Amino acid sequence: MTDIVKLIFDLLIFPGGLFAVVFGLFLMGIDRKIAARLQRRVGPPVYQPFIDLVKLTRKEIVVPETAHLQAFRLAPLLGFVGMMAAVTLIPIAGVYQGFEHLGDLLVLLYLLSLPAIALMIGGSASSSPFGAIGFSREMVMMMSYELPLLIVLVTVAMKVGLATGGIATFSLSEIVQFQLENGALLFDYTMLPALLAFLVFIPGNMGVVPFDIPEAETEIVEGPILEYSGTGLALFKLMTSLKMVVVLGLAIALFFPTPLGENFLINLLWFFLKCLVLMVISITVVRTSTGRIRMDQAFKFYLKYPTVLALISLVLTLLQG
Amino acid sequence: MKKLLQKIAKKSPWLYRINAGSCNGCDVELATTACIPRYDVERLGCKYCGSPKHADIVLITGPLTARVKEKVLRLYDEIPDPKVTVAIGVCPISGGVFRDSYAITGPIDKFIPVDVNVPGCPPRPQAIIDGIVEAIKIWETRL
Ligand code: SF4
Repeated sequence: MTDIVKLIFDLLIFPGGLFAVVFGLFLMGIDRKIAARLQRRVGPPVYQPFIDLVKLTRKEIVVPETAHLQAFRLAPLLGFVGMMAAVTLIPIAGVYQGFEHLGDLLVLLYLLSLPAIALMIGGSASSSPFGAIGFSREMVMMMSYELPLLIVLVTVAMKVGLATGGIATFSLSEIVQFQLENGALLFDYTMLPALLAFLVFIPGNMGVVPFDIPEAETEIVEGPILEYSGTGLALFKLMTSLKMVVVLGLAIALFFPTPLGENFLINLLWFFLKCLVLMVISITVVRTSTGRIRMDQAFKFYLKYPTVLALISLVLTLLQG
Repeated sequence: MKKLLQKIAKKSPWLYRINAGSCNGCDVELATTACIPRYDVERLGCKYCGSPKHADIVLITGPLTARVKEKVLRLYDEIPDPKVTVAIGVCPISGGVFRDSYAITGPIDKFIPVDVNVPGCPPRPQAIIDGIVEAIKIWETRL
């Protein structure tokens, strides 16, 4: 019984649900503020994403006449729920254990592709030509960034697995545990290329400016989410902010989970700080300092640099082990 | 409760721009001057959005030519309620330099309820931002 209560608490309040939503929206707000400061303007307040959500819930919902209704309505829900589940898998060292199951890294990998799939379903169900273009671009984008991500995950799993006497460990909590005992992987020179590859993967997955090709605002007017209004759009916004938490949290769990002492609150703040630094490096600065690139360029870029970097790490790990 | 939501929600007006056959003078002032970092409208919570489905405040430029009339009306219908319309430039008011032309069906308020007029040919960026602020005030009462 208590297990079920704990599960519900996990899903709805602490690492998932309420906490993750607030956390993600705050990160988004800070991202917008810093981006504004980098462009020498004042920018919106940090709580702007909350306001946007409140406003969106008060708007009328317009559905295109030719849309496939069920798919159109369910797509944002699918992405949102998937991300909500993914958040509970992310361990926060010193605060939250994560799910202690054997293959949660693989489950996370699948869940991480859900937002892109939700966007694809939404875009194609909306029956708008822009949505269709966005859908096809989203698909190519996903194929290009998924490969380096997979190699990075396998590399980390093998690194930990080989060091503990097995072959590969696909359990996030074990990976975190290993790093707590033997020092973070960040300080291991063989893992640096993998870390770099992951840093490059983040903007692609988040769809921020150099890689915002699927929702190119000025060109195909936000692609897949073009036809959404009101609550549907709000769910997509929530999904994006949760995805940010998941991706940043995953990076921290994989490379630098070290907590600061025993205190619960301090550890949580430390986690927030790490997320913030990671976000500024890999999202905010990137998105304010670049322009959009073409689809084929992004595809080639992802197959060239992050994949090769991740492979270098993998080979080094294998040579060591 | 409703009051509170109103108060919160009014801080997030998203802008959408319709070009109803303008000479592009107003559009340049609007999209490239009023929205560049220097005149930062984002501090009011505004965001330029590409899709009419996301918009709250509609900015219309130009005199509504016969060719685009149907499309503009259709676009206007696609914008979810509540919405506020701001007409930028003298063109939407009277036709401006295009007045009495056979290609013009305007003024715009014959077809679309206009809430705020920002006159000028083209208006200054400051005037446009002032118009947006005015529109936010009206928008609050409709939420
Ligand atoms: S008001 Fe002047 S600048 Fe604006 S569209 Fe009309 S003619 Fe052009």
